[in-house]
Amino acid sequence: MTQWTRAIPIAAFLMASQWMAGCEQKTPDPARPRAPQARPADGDGDGIPDRDDATPGDVIVDHDGDGRPDVDPLEPETFGPETPAPATRYARLTREQWENTVADLFHLAVHTGFSEELAQDASPAGFIFNNPAEALAVDATQWSGFQRAAGRVAELVTTNATLLAGVASVPIDANAFIRALGLRAHRRPLSEEDVALYQTVFAAGAAAYPGVDATTGGARLVIEAMLQSPFFLYRVELTTDVAGEIIRLDPYETAARLSYALWGSMPDDELLAAAAQGLLVGEGVEAQARRMLEDDKATSSMLAFHQQLLEAEKLSGVAPAPAFFPNAPAELGALARQENDLFLADLFTTGGGLGDMLTSTRTFVNDELAAIYGVEPPGGGAFAPVELDPTVRRGILTHVAFLAQNATSVDPDPIHRGVFIARRMACMPLSAPPANIPPLPPTQDLQTNRERVEQHTQTSEPCVQCHLDIINPFGFPYESYDATGALRTHDNGLPIDTASEVLLDEGPQPVADGVELAEAMADSRVVHECYAEHWLNVVSGRVRHDDDTNLIKRVGWASATGASVKDLLVEIVTSPAFLERNVVELEGGAE
Amino acid sequence: MKAINQIKTKMNRRLVLKGFGGVALALPFLEGLMPKQARAQGIDRRFAIFFRQANGCAQAQVTGEIGSEPERFYPRDAGALTEASMAGRAVDELSAHRNKLLVLQGVNMEWFDYGDGHAMGALQGLTAAAPLVPFAGGDSEAGGESLDHRIGRELNSDGRESLVMFAGQGGGWLNGPCISYRGPGQRRTALHNPWIAYQNLVGSQQGLSDEAQTQIALRGRSVNDLVREQLQRLKTRPELSSADRARLSLHLDAVRDLEVSLGARLAADQELVLEQQAPGFDSTDGDQVLETARFHMDIAALAVSAGMTKAAAIQIGVGNDGNTRYRNSDGSSMENYHFISHRRLSHDSAGAVIGNADVLHHTIDRQFARTFKHLIERLEAVPGINGGTLLDEGMAVWYNDNSTGPQHGIANVPWIIAGSCGGRIEQGQMLRLPGAANEPTHRRLLNTIGSAVGCSGGTMTNFGDASTNGALLSEVLIG
Repeated sequence: MTQWTRAIPIAAFLMASQWMAGCEQKTPDPARPRAPQARPADGDGDGIPDRDDATPGDVIVDHDGDGRPDVDPLEPETFGPETPAPATRYARLTREQWENTVADLFHLAVHTGFSEELAQDASPAGFIFNNPAEALAVDATQWSGFQRAAGRVAELVTTNATLLAGVASVPIDANAFIRALGLRAHRRPLSEEDVALYQTVFAAGAAAYPGVDATTGGARLVIEAMLQSPFFLYRVELTTDVAGEIIRLDPYETAARLSYALWGSMPDDELLAAAAQGLLVGEGVEAQARRMLEDDKATSSMLAFHQQLLEAEKLSGVAPAPAFFPNAPAELGALARQENDLFLADLFTTGGGLGDMLTSTRTFVNDELAAIYGVEPPGGGAFAPVELDPTVRRGILTHVAFLAQNATSVDPDPIHRGVFIARRMACMPLSAPPANIPPLPPTQDLQTNRERVEQHTQTSEPCVQCHLDIINPFGFPYESYDATGALRTHDNGLPIDTASEVLLDEGPQPVADGVELAEAMADSRVVHECYAEHWLNVVSGRVRHDDDTNLIKRVGWASATGASVKDLLVEIVTSPAFLERNVVELEGGAE
Repeated sequence: MKAINQIKTKMNRRLVLKGFGGVALALPFLEGLMPKQARAQGIDRRFAIFFRQANGCAQAQVTGEIGSEPERFYPRDAGALTEASMAGRAVDELSAHRNKLLVLQGVNMEWFDYGDGHAMGALQGLTAAAPLVPFAGGDSEAGGESLDHRIGRELNSDGRESLVMFAGQGGGWLNGPCISYRGPGQRRTALHNPWIAYQNLVGSQQGLSDEAQTQIALRGRSVNDLVREQLQRLKTRPELSSADRARLSLHLDAVRDLEVSLGARLAADQELVLEQQAPGFDSTDGDQVLETARFHMDIAALAVSAGMTKAAAIQIGVGNDGNTRYRNSDGSSMENYHFISHRRLSHDSAGAVIGNADVLHHTIDRQFARTFKHLIERLEAVPGINGGTLLDEGMAVWYNDNSTGPQHGIANVPWIIAGSCGGRIEQGQMLRLPGAANEPTHRRLLNTIGSAVGCSGGTMTNFGDASTNGALLSEVLIG
């Protein structure tokens, strides 16, 4: 078998490169090779090409028994050394991280909601998660918000004896209070210089808050100051401890990286203690990571990741036309989001991985969603687990959420379904559509939605460049699901055609429908590496860097060979790329 | 996790406000907020407040959906603006102020390779810059600084950045606020909640006595001293990248900014109105979005009046304003604005045609016009230093990302200026910019506006993409 290469086949990658240059700029090339239309050999009649027939002598590995070869079982050592990519030393907390951190810092059962004081962060296009580390700044606008939010937290804590007792002894010993809270707010022991600064602030508290006793006033002002300190607002990494070709993080920096990667919040006492004891090396990191992944905070982080990856914000706009779908729930988008959250939480906590996410027949429905899926309603208005028909539903991309959020109010939208698969699941660099594209004509008599899209996008340049081989083939397998996600067999009175050939891994693969596409994606290196890349993006707060390639390959391999989502996260947070910095930063190379 | 601030009962004082619902702020207070030195003759208070609409306007065009759509936006004739020439067009909402308006035709943008009509319009609108990465479509970033930021950087005291505000639900196409840039690819944060925006401006909490305000200032200084000390220490670290150093500098500048924040504020009852009305800022309801815009305008007027900034940018809706559903004249909710602008029930060309979408678009244009009128009237309500009004000292600018919806046109993009900027900008007419059809004039206009406000000593020609024509538009300038 061939050795793993970067997942997208060269032909596809070259095509993608052309699109990046802009479809509308290209002169049509009649000689450009098209995907072969003839179906490969299929001796076992399963609709899947028999690669052993095509390449005699290859050993087919098929652990999951789906008749489809598994991904290349190479050992991860073959992927090459992993190098940390240059990164900011000042990753500012996001609004969500600020809320989580404040709640943990003061042992609050609920978020304060005081992040409402902050302005909406700049959200650079092209990065799909909410933590772009290089873009999150503290400008005058945000600074005012952080000031007010800090003031409100300080007031909340120091006017509530229980909350105050959680962070300060009674009576308040300024030095002990500053050192103890400072350790957790700065996420490292305070320097003596900072202790002195906070003591000055504490002393000013009496005059600043004349209505309360001097130590309470001091504590209040210190809390305000700590929550405005750059050591609180940023994850500061100052290490310059060079070891060969890398810079080692210090134990507290490691702890903070772990906690914000897995929890979106500050380290807890156990993690800080591990840092203090020098335990955050080697297996000690993995032990902490595995402990942290069992916490509900990890589940929340995992859900936030998938909500962004799966474009859950689109669900608020789901509105099937009543004239066509009179029985569609009024809150279909919200119900679908709840279903996906329950599905993902269940998958995460029970040790599922991307393969399960793409092929599982288990989901959660209430009565209204049960009607769409054609399963027995659970009754009582609550959501309950159900098993879906495996011949028509496999995995999260056959759930209502993906299907309904990528539909017009009337029809399925194979173009946006296909674009999502190409970009988000296969990480293909599709360019934007050209400006001023002509409108999609109305569906004609004796024409299906698929035929309408084919006629409009696959018959002339420049549309054909992107639609013929990539977008439409990924979208058409879902034509058997209508704009609400319900199953349909006919469209405009005609039978539905869901057959397609999708570009994954070594080349075009025929798939009969959305179920087979799910299986193909579950077996695809491209898809697993793409998933690994998304996780690395959100953990590091940046887009992919060349230095990430080997780590992505290795984590993608782990995912493809059955690793759970938790295992993937452990792979990432125990990797050299996560635990080290690039020495090039000290050579002026991180500009 | 439910937030504490959602659990707590709202302040009782809000109950007092039941009679205030829907009442816009009255702004005679602006005079009181004017810095004393600004009242002296000869103080330069030139400013520009930009008000941005997406999706083009209902001007004359031929669309595949509706066919030949008549002109519903611009006045009938070039030259002096008259009630008759404006009647029936969207701009007739501004007819009462026509003597202080300059309606421009022939503002043509560059065809930069953004790969998306909304990106090309929204990101180029105040930057006149090409994309950072070509053909990135919805993932685009502007490749240059925006004019509001340039004005603030160059003309604001202490280099304070311009005021940027956003109304409507965030997220969506181009990821929410997208018109203001610090530099290439450096998109700026926008204030969303007008109540927060106001508090940012005045720098302290509401309803407090002078003594309490003084104590707040003292606390702020104590904390700022500590933060400055820590930031200065971090900035000296040799291992910092230039990007990290720049972000720390921005942070440090922000700390300094607040020490010189405005020492005056709204009357208590006006603060209550603002606080009560502000929660609609994140709405998809067009009425609430435009109400938020009016509050933002009040705050922008307050800021320029008090000398806090010489530039403000107010963005309504995301890149394609696809989340907002404006209201029809009968009070019903339209389809989202992006659908209306496309004339179809979809964000692309796939949905069914909305039969009267051109009329609906015109209705939306009128709502924007009335909102712009609110800004004009706020600025007109404040006496000027040298006679006249605050509007005469600066300018309010209503502009659009595109000229038309279905085509995402970049030729003949609506730009309407109110105010003469101290006698520098022509008024009372509709001006057709000279040049060949579709000849780019947009960058020239931005340079002209920047010059009128005072950038580069009053003659700025270097703003925007340097490969294009940046010469000033003498037709727009007086003298």
